[in-house]
Amino acid sequence: MMRPVLIRRERVVPATQAVAFVVGIATALVLGLILLWTSGHSPAEVYERMFDAAFMGTDSLARTLERATPLALTGLAVAVAGSMGLWNIGAEGQMMAGATIAAGVAMGADGLSGPLLIALMVVSGVAGGMVLMLGPALARSHLGVSEIITTLMLVYVAIRVVEWLETGPWKDPESFGFAVIEPVPEQASLPGLFGRAHIGTLIALGLLLVFSLAVSRTAWGYELRLAGSSPNTARYAGISLRRKVLTALLLSGGIAGLAGAVQLTGSATRLESGLSNGYGFAGIIVAALALMRPSGVVVAAFVFGAVQVGGQSIQTLGVSSAISDILQAMILFAALVAAVFFNYRIRWRGPAGRESSDDEQAEAGDDALTMEGV
Amino acid sequence: MSEAALVGLFVATVQFGTLVFLAALGELIAERAGVLNLGVEGMMAMGAVSGFMVGLETGSPWAAFFAAAAVGALVGGLHALVSVVMGADQVVSGLALTIGGLGLAAYVGRNVVGERPETLFTDLGIAGLADIRWFGDIFFNQPPVVYLAVLLGLAVWFVLARTRLGLALRAVGESAPTTDAVGHSVMALRSAAVMVGGAFAGAAGSFLSLYMAPGWTEGMVAGRGWIAVALVIFGAWRPGRLALGALLFGFTLALQPRLQTFDIEILGLDVSSISPALLGILPFVLTVVVLVIISWRHRHRPSVAPAALGLPYRREER
Repeated sequence: MMRPVLIRRERVVPATQAVAFVVGIATALVLGLILLWTSGHSPAEVYERMFDAAFMGTDSLARTLERATPLALTGLAVAVAGSMGLWNIGAEGQMMAGATIAAGVAMGADGLSGPLLIALMVVSGVAGGMVLMLGPALARSHLGVSEIITTLMLVYVAIRVVEWLETGPWKDPESFGFAVIEPVPEQASLPGLFGRAHIGTLIALGLLLVFSLAVSRTAWGYELRLAGSSPNTARYAGISLRRKVLTALLLSGGIAGLAGAVQLTGSATRLESGLSNGYGFAGIIVAALALMRPSGVVVAAFVFGAVQVGGQSIQTLGVSSAISDILQAMILFAALVAAVFFNYRIRWRGPAGRESSDDEQAEAGDDALTMEGV
Repeated sequence: MSEAALVGLFVATVQFGTLVFLAALGELIAERAGVLNLGVEGMMAMGAVSGFMVGLETGSPWAAFFAAAAVGALVGGLHALVSVVMGADQVVSGLALTIGGLGLAAYVGRNVVGERPETLFTDLGIAGLADIRWFGDIFFNQPPVVYLAVLLGLAVWFVLARTRLGLALRAVGESAPTTDAVGHSVMALRSAAVMVGGAFAGAAGSFLSLYMAPGWTEGMVAGRGWIAVALVIFGAWRPGRLALGALLFGFTLALQPRLQTFDIEILGLDVSSISPALLGILPFVLTVVVLVIISWRHRHRPSVAPAALGLPYRREER
């Protein structure tokens, strides 16, 4: 029986991941087309509406930027942890925690002037994200508990705490019985750029630039990458793995918390349980597509922002906005597969056609971060 | 607290326990073969919606159950294709499966929200035993899926621990090159394990939509798939401990909606005054706390996780 064998290419296709991303988008659009067509919609009409809603005109572009901003920030949050091989899949919850603390601060200090209050809210947002990350970070760094499960579990905790605040302690007395929290003070809204876009976009771009430089140009960044790729080498070099894990995760949580504060002051009118809106989860796809690189996060966040704006717009055509979630996941799947083809070539082998005896497992083995469980 | 309420709590404990046990048992099979699948939540959602729709169409809960298992296997097959055959990152592929699965389930089920199938799973009163006070209702008057889950648990234990197939599966989870050298197909073993795991998760989803919370709504899986993933760690990759863990988590899941109706005080605090939203964090906080405690107790011992868990294998790679 002939069977396929994947062999690593000696010459890798240039800009592999960028090409894989484009292939991913194209594949997802084709699969989406089939899905739309089989459920009785006109794919051309739906895609045209999505494209118009996301790109045509300044208002559309502003909406895309508005959505790309939290995606870029949560994508960066995931990428910070990811650059040392850790998975923060709870950015959704840290975003909520950040927004919650920021909203609490705004309630207590609503007498402050705009810029001061916003600064205070942003700082407390970072703190909120870090607080929610503290448990998982310590458990990971000191006990080796998988951060994947713990960060995710706390997403449900954060969202339910906000639901509780909505129905009880922070319920707006002037809401005519609706379970909503009072709006953030007028002066606490981020300055706008154009349309619905706000300077949160610039904050995100600035942070991505800072992180990009920190990772590639500083000793700190080098140590971070080293600790992730070869922990043993890092240990011999006298780098404290525990401290690196702790800082990477806390930083990651802090940035996700910042995303919450920016969303609260930039786009939302009040803290609500739907504020994080899946941005934290989509941020994981953004970071994975970007291979944890800040430049990639910028591009992927923009594209996903557009997909989401498009997904919202087609509801008027009677098409479910769930299409945008499906498209996002399919882009990632297709890009994953494409990237494998760019890095490996397929050779069909017969049963006796074994040319190599040195079977090697593509594993980091001893030299990977060890952890209990997952 | 009345006697009926207490019995009701334990009846629900067994049912919630079954729900997470089935899904976790599937994940255990995949993980023992060395494949981490973080797509359980998405596979359960796909199983829940497809099972519910087949149930609506056919009126047969069993047709729905097996259809959901087939869909779960198919969705698991995507993870197998991407992460086992192609060797892409298992974490990324699994997460994409969860996000895409939740999205696809929402899309597929958009027209059946609010409907109710005519026939659901019914409780199976076991003659003679179901009438025993307390224990009868808790253990002998449950829906058939509960007993099926027990049988499946035993079967998985038997296959893993006592058969050649199980040996091969466990071996591929410890070291793929060695298993390959012995002549087993790493891809076939791992792909099969992931697809069977997916079938379990899908079936668990249909138990949710055809018995526990009849109907389909977006987000109805509500994190139980993730609890199942955590449960595998809690169960130390063993079916027996998994069952114990499932009952513990089932208890918290059952407790949460009921705690408000219980007229009890804890440390002077009237439990019924606590908001349901706040009680909802209980299972998730428990999961984190339990994982930390386990790791603390095992901190000086070598990990019991399958050694090759999460590591892709590409034959003849140079």
